[in-house]
Amino acid sequence: MIAEPVLWALVGLALGLVVVRRRSAGVAVLAAQSLLLGVIAVDHAVTEHGSVPAAVAILVIRGVVLPLVLVQVIRLTREPRRVASERSALLRFVLALAVALVAIGLAPPLGLHDEAAGDAALALVVLGIAVAALRRPVVFQAIGFLVAENGVLLAGLAVSGGLPAIVELGLLVDLVLAVGVAGAFGARIHERFGTSDTSVLRSLRD
Amino acid sequence: MTDALVHLAVALPLATALLVPLARGARLARLVVAGALLTAAAAGALGVVALADHAEPARGHWYVVDAAGGVYLLVVAAIGLLSALASPGYLGPAHRGFFAEHRSRPAYYVALLAFWAVLLAVPLVDNLVVAWILVEATTAASAVLVAFSGGRLALEAGWKYLVLTTLGLTVALLGIVVLYALLASGGSVLGTLDWDAIRAGAGAIDGDAAVFALVLILAGLAAKIGWAPVHNWLPDAHSEAPPPVSALLSAALLPTVMLVAWRTLAALDPAVGRTGGALFLAFGLVSLAVAVPFLWRRLPIKRLLAYSSLEHMGVLALGIGFGTPLALAGVVIHVAGHALAKSLGFYATIPLLRRDRTLATEAPVSLNSTSPAAAGAVGLSLASLSGLPPSPLFVSEVLILAGGVAAGEIAVVAVAAALLALGFLGLAHALIEGVAGDAPREPVASRRAARRLLALTAAIGCALLALPAAAYGLIDSALVADLMRGVG
Repeated sequence: MIAEPVLWALVGLALGLVVVRRRSAGVAVLAAQSLLLGVIAVDHAVTEHGSVPAAVAILVIRGVVLPLVLVQVIRLTREPRRVASERSALLRFVLALAVALVAIGLAPPLGLHDEAAGDAALALVVLGIAVAALRRPVVFQAIGFLVAENGVLLAGLAVSGGLPAIVELGLLVDLVLAVGVAGAFGARIHERFGTSDTSVLRSLRD
Repeated sequence: MTDALVHLAVALPLATALLVPLARGARLARLVVAGALLTAAAAGALGVVALADHAEPARGHWYVVDAAGGVYLLVVAAIGLLSALASPGYLGPAHRGFFAEHRSRPAYYVALLAFWAVLLAVPLVDNLVVAWILVEATTAASAVLVAFSGGRLALEAGWKYLVLTTLGLTVALLGIVVLYALLASGGSVLGTLDWDAIRAGAGAIDGDAAVFALVLILAGLAAKIGWAPVHNWLPDAHSEAPPPVSALLSAALLPTVMLVAWRTLAALDPAVGRTGGALFLAFGLVSLAVAVPFLWRRLPIKRLLAYSSLEHMGVLALGIGFGTPLALAGVVIHVAGHALAKSLGFYATIPLLRRDRTLATEAPVSLNSTSPAAAGAVGLSLASLSGLPPSPLFVSEVLILAGGVAAGEIAVVAVAAALLALGFLGLAHALIEGVAGDAPREPVASRRAARRLLALTAAIGCALLALPAAAYGLIDSALVADLMRGVG
């Protein structure tokens, strides 16, 4: 079982990503959340005789490597000013919190070994989607899907016996590919539009 | 033999992709053509073996070669080969796009071959979560292909595709974890999510929880299949991607991901009963309803073809949702017919867009006046996609609707028939206005390109004519009976 304060911390960090202003601060919050999950994964692997190398890979890749990729994207895509197209932080916070509460209220129990962790996992997935939907900078949208993936990782940790190590490693490979491609997109979008504010990507409509 | 073919079908495109950076100029084109021909031969042979031995699917450590897999393998092999052969006609002189100028051509081929390899592996895998990992892996390669030109619209389409499908697949993954938790008995075993293991365990799990897991999985996969209402990326990506990539996306990727959804539905059937089929019917009807109004609008040809994909993914969802022998026979013909007709439409845009860039943003008018070869290809494509007899899609849609009647879903059949009739009229209008015209004035395509397109049109036309005959043989066949027992 994962301690409730830890679950609250994970959800609180996700909520922080909805409101935090600077992209670098966002990456720091994501790294903190991923490191916390990585530590839980290593603890589970040690205490429940799981795969320690897979858990360490989760810790290092999610908590260190992927945030460093995003830091590199920020370095390559310096913004002359704040992204002006974003809604107010308070409105974003209220919207994200409301959607997360509604999702947890409507969804039946996930049937995981640790139900509180199941609720927190669902909250992280919903908040990740909210971050991607409500934030405009490319980096925050990439952070959104990493937060949602962190939710799935938490759900996996709450399954009795955990997910098979080969699955964890396969997911990591996909995650590295997705973040790598997202980083390349961030650089190209900035190069082409002079900003990584995705509100400029609104030409394709019928 | 089967084991060797399975590994060759997946390894050959990957090996070719690894060799691509070592080749330059004409050698690069020859390498890709050779690799594509060998891959298509291996995958095609495997597909034939799968259909011939459908009563006893061959199984290996990670794969199953069954009837459904055979159908999809043949489709993915054919479309992958055609896209590889059509790519030199699209690429033209190297230029700075998503990749640096000197790397653009090799990068295109590496991404295309990797994308194709993963698409060939998806119908073969015997495990839900491994299928998910492969589907997610298609995203990275295909997103850079969508944005290959590096233009503003292409970047917008590629980014939308990357974000929306990645988030959707995350929801599907949560559903898979929930399903794993329901099925696992304490151990950490990958085989828990094998198709047969899911089916064996489904009878003993809580039905409501299984439905919730299925809803999450389908809602997530829907974002990748392009089912409405989570289809927003589809028209943009299909219209902005290079035409050979658009063909792979529409004719191979979407139905292949739907196969994963279909296998999940079949495996969970003991737990979810008719609810699973009802979910497919809902996605099918909504997709048709959203697509049809766009088929009536004057859209650029690639965008029109994209909305037609939305319509046809809806038709396939209906067929799988009805789940009767007639409907499943229709699904098999529809997957093949849609792939051939849709890819022909996209390939025809290569010479058209090369000479007239306005066709990227405006609806075509009287193509026959300027490019008879392309007009013939687009005409055959649109006529087939509209369901004009003797198109195989007319036959498959009739089979699917008849299968719906047999399933007792009269209201769904009535609504679907009305929407399909409206869709037919919309595409017929585009066919008449966009293709028909006066006698040729000044050809816009080179003679060589026109000859190639005519040959491709003739070949695909013959295949499209052969499919209705195959449909006749499929009704009440042992192959459909095997599909009825579960696609895994």
